[in-house]
Amino acid sequence: MTVRIAGGGRIELVGVCPSGDAEALLRLLLADPGTTVDWRECRGAHTAVVQVLMAVRPKLLGPPAGAPLKDWVAPAIT
Amino acid sequence: MNEFLQQFVIESRELAQAASDGLLALEQSPRDAERLDEVFRAFHTLKGSAAIVEFPGMETAMHAAEEILTEARAGRQPLNSAGIGQCLSRLDQVATWLDAIERSGRIPQDAGARPVEVTPSPAEHHPDAAWVADLVDGHRAAAGRALTAVRFVPGTDCLYHGEDPLERMTSLPGLLALELSAREPWGGLDTLDPFRCNLILTALSAAPATDLYVHLQGHSGECGIVSITTGSGDSTRSLPPHVVGVIEAQQALLEDASPQSLAGRAGSAGTVAANALRFCGRMELSERISHATDQSLLALSVQPLREALAQLLAEDAPAETASADSVRTPENLARTLRIDAGQIDALVRLAGELTVVNNAIRHVAKLARAGDPVVPDLLKDRQGALEHLVAELRRSVVGMRVRPLRAVLQRFPRLVREMSANLGKPVKLVITGEETEADKTIVEMLFEPLLHLVRNAIDHGVEGASGRTTAGKAPTARLEIKAKRNADQVLIEVSDDGAGIDLARLRKAAVARGIMTEERLLTLTEAETLDLVFAPGFSTAARVTEISGRGVGMDAVRRAVERVGGHVSISSVAGQGTAVKLSLPFSVMMTHVMTVEAGGQLFGLPLEAIIEMTCVPQAAISKVGAAPVVVLRDRALPVIDLASVLGVGGALADDDGANLVVATANGECAAFRVDRIVERLDLVLKPLEGLLAGTPGIMGTTLLGDGRVLLVLDVGEILQ
Repeated sequence: MTVRIAGGGRIELVGVCPSGDAEALLRLLLADPGTTVDWRECRGAHTAVVQVLMAVRPKLLGPPAGAPLKDWVAPAIT
Repeated sequence: MNEFLQQFVIESRELAQAASDGLLALEQSPRDAERLDEVFRAFHTLKGSAAIVEFPGMETAMHAAEEILTEARAGRQPLNSAGIGQCLSRLDQVATWLDAIERSGRIPQDAGARPVEVTPSPAEHHPDAAWVADLVDGHRAAAGRALTAVRFVPGTDCLYHGEDPLERMTSLPGLLALELSAREPWGGLDTLDPFRCNLILTALSAAPATDLYVHLQGHSGECGIVSITTGSGDSTRSLPPHVVGVIEAQQALLEDASPQSLAGRAGSAGTVAANALRFCGRMELSERISHATDQSLLALSVQPLREALAQLLAEDAPAETASADSVRTPENLARTLRIDAGQIDALVRLAGELTVVNNAIRHVAKLARAGDPVVPDLLKDRQGALEHLVAELRRSVVGMRVRPLRAVLQRFPRLVREMSANLGKPVKLVITGEETEADKTIVEMLFEPLLHLVRNAIDHGVEGASGRTTAGKAPTARLEIKAKRNADQVLIEVSDDGAGIDLARLRKAAVARGIMTEERLLTLTEAETLDLVFAPGFSTAARVTEISGRGVGMDAVRRAVERVGGHVSISSVAGQGTAVKLSLPFSVMMTHVMTVEAGGQLFGLPLEAIIEMTCVPQAAISKVGAAPVVVLRDRALPVIDLASVLGVGGALADDDGANLVVATANGECAAFRVDRIVERLDLVLKPLEGLLAGTPGIMGTTLLGDGRVLLVLDVGEILQ
């Protein structure tokens, strides 16, 4: 699983998150809107996943591992 | 060229024409929704066809035009003159590509890499659109190196189809900056559908527009790519090699431009070159080329554009030049003709009937060998059947070559639009009788003479808006092209409601140019005086303008029309306008001639030149000075001895009477003295070829029934 709950209730995005992760991520964020998303080990994320991050605007813990995410996406959504 | 591609070229030409007509009509009535749909469909089909033959460059260009039309159809952005102009320039581009495909038999390799300005109108896709400015402002450092700005709005359902727009954009060639924003507010989180794409992605890139297009192609959604220029516009920088390549390719294209394809070529070549320069940030050079293109279009000469391109490359001389992928072949483009299947069926049936007659004649031949006495009657009967079939065959074949004049007339609205805009004279063009038909050869030769006439009318004929208002006329001038069929003739009239021809000025010019002496001018009727405008080297324009007035216009018109056996006349009323009438044969295949004998040889004289044939007593021919003259119907005509003028024998021996053929051409009239008037023939004239081509005084040849060659004379040239 590329979306998981880590210690302290933090959500972690790990590896390359496919579009299917979007729903799981949204569910987790809806359950606890104040939670932090840690994407330091995220190497890539599908548009759907990034959309969820843009809509919910959780606190993000980065920078993400993947270069495109780090260089382009993270600056654009934070 | 394979059949598939051939079909593509034929259909694309038709579609492009339909689209171009529709666009021009839309300019007149922008609210015509039906017309807009038609134009949209034409572009859409062009795009689809391009996809089928795998021609992404054209697909892209058509898509760009489609976007403009989509905005207009949705009512978001009314279709204005600029939008129409951009769609038209896409069509010019298509025409150039189609020419290239016809020449080389393959899809142009460099077409995809040509810097096409990708998504031009809707306003938001202009380089000065707000989103571009925001993007540049937000990323100052990146903008300094950016060539292009992209705005990509993926289709809302694209995520359901497994697409990943963000991935596309983050892997964009030359990406310098990226921004993500929501198309609509996100709304409540419990109703959020993560698979409904709600993004607008904007980016700056250091790659040229076409690379970006190729990269984004195939993704659903709308995409606008604009070439941007930032910074100071360093004009000492030399051009990138591939831009030089593109410009050289345009030069090559202009080199073998025939007059027919010239307008489109100059337009397309100029647009491509200007876009190439804009794409590499050389706005000032781009402007220069655009200006030269306009000049070329209006002067209908590639010269201004050619010179501008040459100068541009000369200035850029130290730069490396890349070889251009252009195929240079002579202008022998494949000529195609669409023929109704019914006509082919009729030909097949005729072929069958001819075979039957042939068999019947073979039978008669057999009987003849056996000495059967019924042979003469049978042969006469069969010959009758054959004659009937040959006539029908000829009709069918001529019928196949028949084309509506629309093919040539439909090019004028566009040209008039440009000329009118350039000269700042509002002109309304009215075309009637487009459906009038004529032989293909006639239709094809018409463009140039008509163009001369239209140019003359707009440049010299009609007054500017203020001049017209002073003269009590409507500010918009009316230019009319009327075509109609009259028995074997096709009549075309180009008329304007301009100032008309000033006879006094015309007479003065004729004297000044040494065309006629003042004394002789006084003997001319008004119509004869007007006819002087057709004299070689005659031009009354006080100044030489870009559009016309180089004094080559009207005599060229007369020459072209007479070459195919037609004639041209002019009438004008001061203050009310000028009308030029062209009368052309319906078909050039059949020529009616009268055969005459002179110096023991047979010659043909075109029937249309002959006024009358008569036999006068020798005494009726008197000498005025050294020249023999005959008075016929109260008119003194010079008598020309045909045999001696052709150098096939001396003067005729004096006998009881003289056979005279009175013929006229170019307003000159003379009586040709011949030995004998033989018979009238309808024949298919063959033009002179090879070494004989251009022999003065001879129009063409044909084979007579007994195998002799008949020379058909050109009365006009002999009279000269």
